[in-house]
Amino acid sequence: MTDDDILTGFVLEGRCLTFEELCAAGALEQDWLLRHIEEGLFPAPGGTRSEWRFSALGLARARRMRSLERDFEAVPELAALVADMLEELDALRARLRVAGLE
Amino acid sequence: MEYRDYYGTLGVPREATIDEIKKAYRKLARKYHPDVSKEPDAEARMREVNEAYAVLSDAEKRAAYDELGRGYRPGQEFRPPPGWDAGFEFSGPGASGAEAADFSDFFAELFGRMRGAPAGEFRMRGEDHHAKILLELEDAYSGAVRQVTLRAPKMDDQGRVALATRTLNVKIPKGVHAGQIIRLAGQGGPGMGSARAGDLLLEVQIRPHGRYRADGRDLHVTLPVAPWEAALGAVVPVDVPDGQLQVRIPAGAQSGRVLRVRGRGIPGDPPGNLLLEIQVVLPEAATAKAKELYETMARELAFDPRRET
Repeated sequence: MTDDDILTGFVLEGRCLTFEELCAAGALEQDWLLRHIEEGLFPAPGGTRSEWRFSALGLARARRMRSLERDFEAVPELAALVADMLEELDALRARLRVAGLE
Repeated sequence: MEYRDYYGTLGVPREATIDEIKKAYRKLARKYHPDVSKEPDAEARMREVNEAYAVLSDAEKRAAYDELGRGYRPGQEFRPPPGWDAGFEFSGPGASGAEAADFSDFFAELFGRMRGAPAGEFRMRGEDHHAKILLELEDAYSGAVRQVTLRAPKMDDQGRVALATRTLNVKIPKGVHAGQIIRLAGQGGPGMGSARAGDLLLEVQIRPHGRYRADGRDLHVTLPVAPWEAALGAVVPVDVPDGQLQVRIPAGAQSGRVLRVRGRGIPGDPPGNLLLEIQVVLPEAATAKAKELYETMARELAFDPRRET
């Protein structure tokens, strides 16, 4: 392996993805995400659409909601509720891990 | 390539109705959904279930699968007749590129070769792709070069799309931590015409470590100390992923107290902290000498751990 074979990327942190990038990265339809933002099911970032920035957490949430809707034919409101609960579960599990209890 | 028994995966007979297939899928999706499942291989099973459902829930794909799979047993070597798909017209969008990349070679062979847009004067920037990269904690401390293997749809000269596996060597910069994204320009989907390729976005995950627990850039670790080190104070060596530190234990430290060593967590700007949780460990009273020491303490220290303060 030579140095030429090694790819170097940019590290993105925090709210770093544009609306289009989030959709592309999550294989989401733009209309789908827009509808969910407008209906308050997906946390709306401030500003106009071109100013919106999303974090890796937002990407995970969008993918999760999409798969819940697809796998279970869940109505969007229910998928959002389940996503909320799963995020809370993730946060609790992370606290357990930090406390050495898991 | 192994033949896959989609009916077996969903646990339905070959003559099952679409409603029965849907019902069986829902049940399995609840059982194996990686977010909630307690099954150890949930993610892999969910992929199999999704793949089976993608085929059996689609009348056209199911018909093609039934036709080609006649006489095959699960696990048997499968070879589709050349040009088999000529007789089938798949009208739907099929599985999207991202979804199909999760599916088996068997699926890719049968249904992955959906006709893409013709390559011509049409220009469009390639899609951004997304994947996860699982790193060791040590990688975050010292940086590393890691291999990522991706399966992505690729278009050939005739404009046909097939799944291709490719391996990338990616430089992991020092200081990465969970929740970050590494963007590799031009490593996503190819552009159409002369437009540039999309980017590849790698979502960083850190594999849970037996000893250290990462929380962003902060690192938590349990520090076992002897009773006299805790009572009298001491300087003790602590192993960290990039070497060893000398840490001062303040006199009178109790179990559960957390010592913060500034800036010695995962490197970065600013670097994280190292958080040492003190755990006082008692020597066993296994010898006569040890027993005597404990008895002396019991006799001479007026100590009641249950006294309310």
